[in-house]
Amino acid sequence: MNTLARVGTSICTNPETRALHVTASCCKNRAARIRVGKGDRPLTYEQALHPHHIGHRKGWLSQHTSNLMGENGAADRTVEDVFVRRFIFGTFHNCLANEIVIKRRGNMLVVCALMLQRLPPQKFYFLIGYTETLLSHFYKCPVKMEVQTLGDKAVYKYL
Amino acid sequence: RNFGWSAAVCQQNALPLSNLITEAAEAIVVPKKKTWSKEAVLQALAATVNRDSTAAHYMFQDDPYLTPRTSAEFKLYSLSQESGRLAAKHIVNTNPKFFQKDFAEPHIPCLMPETMEPRIEDVSEAALLERIMLRKVKAAVDMYDQLLQAGTTVSTDATNDLLDLICLYGDHDPLQDDKPEDKGRRRKGRPQRAIDLVKIVWRENNNAERIFNLLPERDTRAYSALIRGMVKYGAHVKAFNTYTDMLNNRLTADVHIFNALISAATEVREKYNEKWDLIVELLKQMNEQKVKPNLLTFNAVLKALRRCGSLARAQSLHTLSEMKALGISEWGKNTFASHIVFCSIFCPVSSLQGQTDILQEVLTEVAGRSFVPQDPDDGMHAAFWFLKTVCLETKDLESAYRVHNLLNVGENWRLLGDSFQQSIYYGRFFNLLCMMEHIDVVLKWYNELIPSLFYPNPQGMKDLLQALDTDNRLDMIPQIWKDIRRMGHDNKSDLVEELLSLMARDRHSPEVQESFAACALDVRSLYKQGQVAKVALEWTTASMTNITTILLAAQKTKQAWDMLNIFKTKNRVPSEELIDEFLVRIKDGQQAVELVQISASFCLPSTPNLAQRVLQEFELSEEQRWQLTTTSEVPCLSSDERSVFYRPYSSQMYVLCRLFNKM
Repeated sequence: MNTLARVGTSICTNPETRALHVTASCCKNRAARIRVGKGDRPLTYEQALHPHHIGHRKGWLSQHTSNLMGENGAADRTVEDVFVRRFIFGTFHNCLANEIVIKRRGNMLVVCALMLQRLPPQKFYFLIGYTETLLSHFYKCPVKMEVQTLGDKAVYKYL
Repeated sequence: RNFGWSAAVCQQNALPLSNLITEAAEAIVVPKKKTWSKEAVLQALAATVNRDSTAAHYMFQDDPYLTPRTSAEFKLYSLSQESGRLAAKHIVNTNPKFFQKDFAEPHIPCLMPETMEPRIEDVSEAALLERIMLRKVKAAVDMYDQLLQAGTTVSTDATNDLLDLICLYGDHDPLQDDKPEDKGRRRKGRPQRAIDLVKIVWRENNNAERIFNLLPERDTRAYSALIRGMVKYGAHVKAFNTYTDMLNNRLTADVHIFNALISAATEVREKYNEKWDLIVELLKQMNEQKVKPNLLTFNAVLKALRRCGSLARAQSLHTLSEMKALGISEWGKNTFASHIVFCSIFCPVSSLQGQTDILQEVLTEVAGRSFVPQDPDDGMHAAFWFLKTVCLETKDLESAYRVHNLLNVGENWRLLGDSFQQSIYYGRFFNLLCMMEHIDVVLKWYNELIPSLFYPNPQGMKDLLQALDTDNRLDMIPQIWKDIRRMGHDNKSDLVEELLSLMARDRHSPEVQESFAACALDVRSLYKQGQVAKVALEWTTASMTNITTILLAAQKTKQAWDMLNIFKTKNRVPSEELIDEFLVRIKDGQQAVELVQISASFCLPSTPNLAQRVLQEFELSEEQRWQLTTTSEVPCLSSDERSVFYRPYSSQMYVLCRLFNKM
């Protein structure tokens, strides 16, 4: 320890040596945040608010009880959620206006989606019937969709 | 800081009411205080319990873009949803390995993939049974033949099952449900596709008969299958022959055979009393063989009686009392079909002579009871709309209400049939209401039924307009017009013309005239876009006249002038009354002169009179007077313009003009 102290001091006092200062790295939090840009990128409310606003200015996108104390299955529910989101994103190609909200009530899975009016209604109904049946058979529980349509995406701000 | 800003904005809006009043007392009108009755909350809650009459059908999404507005859209959306479901089922059944994981507790069998193809490949009885279970008729017959060739004996049960299968499906493979069809599309007498036109008929020496003959010993069950198959697919005489065969072999028949034979009896004999004798004969034999009749037996008897003409009535009363005596009415929850068939015997739609008392009795009997569909014809007969037809013919409003109330009891809504039959039922109900009821009641039912339950056709809307006219509520017409547009009936020219004529006919108060004028302008824009829209509305003289009258009555003189120009471009002649009305409204001398010129250009005979009136009534300059006199002297235009004109009166005038021109 004494030698180390002497080494440290010698580097400090000696003017011709250089040292490297190293600290533990603390990276900036980048989760679910869209950074400020030129001002032409439209953002929805969901995208504009950062994750630390969940519970204060934002709601939850997935509602189930497995995160309560003593309940099991949180990981399974999360994996199911991810699958359902990708499935719906792919099935209703280019029609989603915002992230979907997944609610579990009892045995049922309710998928609440906000869609754009890009397809004629009969195509929407075809896809809705298809999704409901396929997901019901996949997860062995009733799956219902509640769809609302918009003309275009609801822009909250431009970044 | 942001938060503070928004809070301040909110606070500004939440200033107390008194400040706002003192600041701008003259701008704000404080509304009257509303008093609520004590049961208001309870009534509001009660209104949410039953069907919501402002919402679309439950199967649709609750969104204005996705809600159907016409009956065509209703069918399209419901069928597309159904076809989406079938597509998903197809994918599930063709890739079962992704859907095998079963984490439902308890097990849900309907969410597992179904096996559509038989798995067992070797020639054995188990394979035969599997194919029978999967309803593969041809494959099952082939497997049976292979078994016989291989020499193995097939058990009687399996053979009987096979015979049942073949006779049920008439020796054809049943259509696999990969096309979306709701069962109600096979309506009576209206085949939709070519497949429906090719009806399955019992062929000579088909597989069923062949296998039957190969049987070493035939029991009742085999005979039963064969006879029922024959009756189902139209080989009635053969069915009776097989029955006599069976009796010769000293076997007793069972109740199903007798049901089938009774329903076949009407086809085999010609005259009414012969038919009835045959049925009586069969019933006697049933008695001898100690077979108890069941519900379907009596239904079959009643249905057969329907074909028996005038003989039917006494016998059907008799039959009904027998049913009661046997206690079938009590325990069986007597099927709805039997009641309806009973009614239809007594009140055939073609000749009704006030048989309403029977109808009333049946309704009393049936009131407040929930029916379970038991007879296969329960839905097909579309009993409810039949009842409604009867009510319509006899103009019996009270019975109609009772029938409608019956629909709300328990499970009876299932008996209403598919959407087409429902639309017929509600259409007839609405028709009856429009004819018989006061307009307030009609409007109440209108708001309740439309558009959540059915979409009326143009005839229904005409009935409604008629009812409005009868009860002098023509001020509702602009609202009805909005509904007509929403339902897509605005391209039906007769409906639009009737609407216009109703509006143009009488004088009303100024607000009503204003609303009529707005409606008329809307209609005019529809006519104008004729070339662009898919189904064009053509201008007619009547429609143009009516629109102009309405516009004039609401003091919209400028638009009325535009209408006159339209008259010119479409080569129609306005009537003299119209020109007179114009004259009444015009204040300006120049316009009056123009009016006379226009009237002259249409070669109206009243032009000189018109000119006189204008000279007298209006202040005119010298030039205008000169114009007027010259116009009134020259009655017609040149001949090429004249020849295109479309004139309703005018033969004398026309001759005069031609003479004049020749000179």
